[in-house]
Amino acid sequence: MAHIDCSFYSPTLQKNAHVVVFVPSLSADDYLEDRETEYHKPGKRWPTLFLLHGSYGDCMDWSLRTGVERYAQEKGVAVVMPSAENSNYVKMAHGENYLDYIGKELPTFLRKIFPLSERRSETYIAGLSMGGYGAFRIALEFPETFGYAASLSGALDMVKLQATGNREAHMRKMPAAYRRAVFDPSVPLEGTRNDLLFLLGQHAEENTALPLLYMSCGTEDFILPANESFYETAKARRVSVLYERYPGVHNWDYWDTHIKDVLRWLPDGTKS
Amino acid sequence: MAFFQTNFFSSTLCFNTDIHVFIPTPNSDELLNRKKSDYLQHGVKFQVLYLLHGAYGDATDWMRLTSIEKYAQEHKLAVVMPSASNSFYQNMYCGSDYLTYLTDELPAVVQALFPVSRKRENTFVAGLSMGGYGAVKLAMERPRQYAACASLSGAIDLEAVMEQTKHGNLAAPFRWDALFERPDNVPGSDADLFALIRKRLAQGEMLPRVFQSCGTEDFIYAANVSARDKLKALGVDITYEEHPGIHDWDYWDTHIQRALNWMRLANEPVTEPEEV
Repeated sequence: MAHIDCSFYSPTLQKNAHVVVFVPSLSADDYLEDRETEYHKPGKRWPTLFLLHGSYGDCMDWSLRTGVERYAQEKGVAVVMPSAENSNYVKMAHGENYLDYIGKELPTFLRKIFPLSERRSETYIAGLSMGGYGAFRIALEFPETFGYAASLSGALDMVKLQATGNREAHMRKMPAAYRRAVFDPSVPLEGTRNDLLFLLGQHAEENTALPLLYMSCGTEDFILPANESFYETAKARRVSVLYERYPGVHNWDYWDTHIKDVLRWLPDGTKS
Repeated sequence: MAFFQTNFFSSTLCFNTDIHVFIPTPNSDELLNRKKSDYLQHGVKFQVLYLLHGAYGDATDWMRLTSIEKYAQEHKLAVVMPSASNSFYQNMYCGSDYLTYLTDELPAVVQALFPVSRKRENTFVAGLSMGGYGAVKLAMERPRQYAACASLSGAIDLEAVMEQTKHGNLAAPFRWDALFERPDNVPGSDADLFALIRKRLAQGEMLPRVFQSCGTEDFIYAANVSARDKLKALGVDITYEEHPGIHDWDYWDTHIQRALNWMRLANEPVTEPEEV
C-alpha cells in the first residue's frame, strides 16, 4: 500500500482538511513472491472504502490501531480515512458540514487526484461507533454514491443514545458546548434526518434504491441496544441489512477483528 | 495546493521510501483574492517537477525550507520531492540504485497515483547542490523523459567536487568508494555529465534544456563557471545565471522561482487523454 497523508483546503469545511489514504501498490511480499501485479496499469481504478473514525478520534486512528492497511491490500481496495472531529458526520447545527464534505466533496475531489473507482458498486463506506452512525447516515443521504455501508459498534439509534447515553462516559464526557454545536438542543432529534430510524422510514416510503447494509456489534458493548433497535426498525421497514453479533466490547480489539468481516462482506474487486 | 506525504515500498530500493507531493488544488488564497480556481476538472493532468534535495537532505527539505508550494501553485505545477540519501543520484556500487529508482520506478508510481502528465514536454527536474547534479544527471540519463532541468548551486562538475573533497577543501558525506566501483574511473564514465552528454549527442538524442544558477560567493562557484563553459562548448541549450549569494536556502528559495519562470510552464493543467 502507498500510505498517503493528505492536507488540502476544503471548500465545504472552509478550512484545511487532513485525510489519510491507502492506495494499493506493490508490497514487499508481492516483490518477494514475484506476484504478477497491476498496480501501475494506466486506467486502473480501485474500489474504495471510506473509513470513518469514532468520537475522540481522527483520520490516523484506523491506520495506527488496526491492520486495515494489510487487509485492504489483500482485498485490493483503496481506503480513505478523513477527520471529522466529534461532529457525528452531520451538518452541524453550529459548525462544519461534515455530511457534505465526506458524502460529496471527498469522493469528487479524491477521484480527481487518485485512481479511485467512480462506480457506486465499488464505493463503500464503513466506520466505528460515531463513525458507524456516520457511515449509515452518509450512505443513506447519498445512496447514489455508495453501494455498500457497514457499521461496527455504531451509534445507530441516536435518539435512544441521547435519552440514555449520559450514563456512558462516551456521551457524558463530551463537552456540552461541542454537543450543542452538533445537534441543536432545542430541536428533538426524533423524526429529523439526524435520526437514522426516521431516515430508513423515509427511504422505505420513497422506495429509494438503498446501499447494502452490514452491521456488527459486541454483545458486551454498551452501545448494543442502539444496534438492536436500529435492526428492528430496518427489518420492519424491509430494509436489507446483515447483522452480526460477537462477544466483545467497545474497543479496538473488536474493530481490528471485525473490520475483516466487513471486507469479507464487500464484493471482490472487479478488474476495472 | 494539496500536500501529500506519501510512503510506499520501492522494489528498486527494496525498502519503504517517502515522497512529498504537491498537486495544485483550489485554496483559500484563490478564494480570498478572486483568482481563477476552476482548473481541477475531471480527468485533469498537471505538468510535473521532480525536485531533488542536496547532500545531508531528504524529501522534506524543499517543503520545509522554501516556499515551493506557493510558487508551484502560481504555475499550476505538480511537485514531487523524493529522498535519495547521500547517493549523489547514482546506482551505488555499495548501496542502493537511486538512479534507477528515480528515472524508472518513481515516474511509474507517481503517474499511477497522481494526476500528472506522462509526456516529456510536461516533465521537469530540478535540484540544489548534489541535487543540482542529480537534475542534470536524470535529464541526460533519460533525455526522452524530461523537457528541461535546472541546477541550483549544482555539483555539475563531479570530477572537480571529488577533487575538492579529496584534498579536504570541501566537507561532504560522500563515500566515493561506495558510490563508484572505481572512483578514479569516474571521468569519462556516465557519472561524468560532460561525458554522458557527449555520448547522448553521439547517439543523436535531443537533449533537455538546462538552467544553471550559482551564487558568486558560493564555494562551488568556480566549478559552476567551468561547468558552464564545458556545457556551452558541447552545444547544450543552456541558460546560465549568477547572482550574489552563497550555498544556502536564501539562494535556493529565490532562484527556484527564476528556474520555474525559465521553464515556460503552461500555468494551467494540460490536456491528456486518460489511457485505458
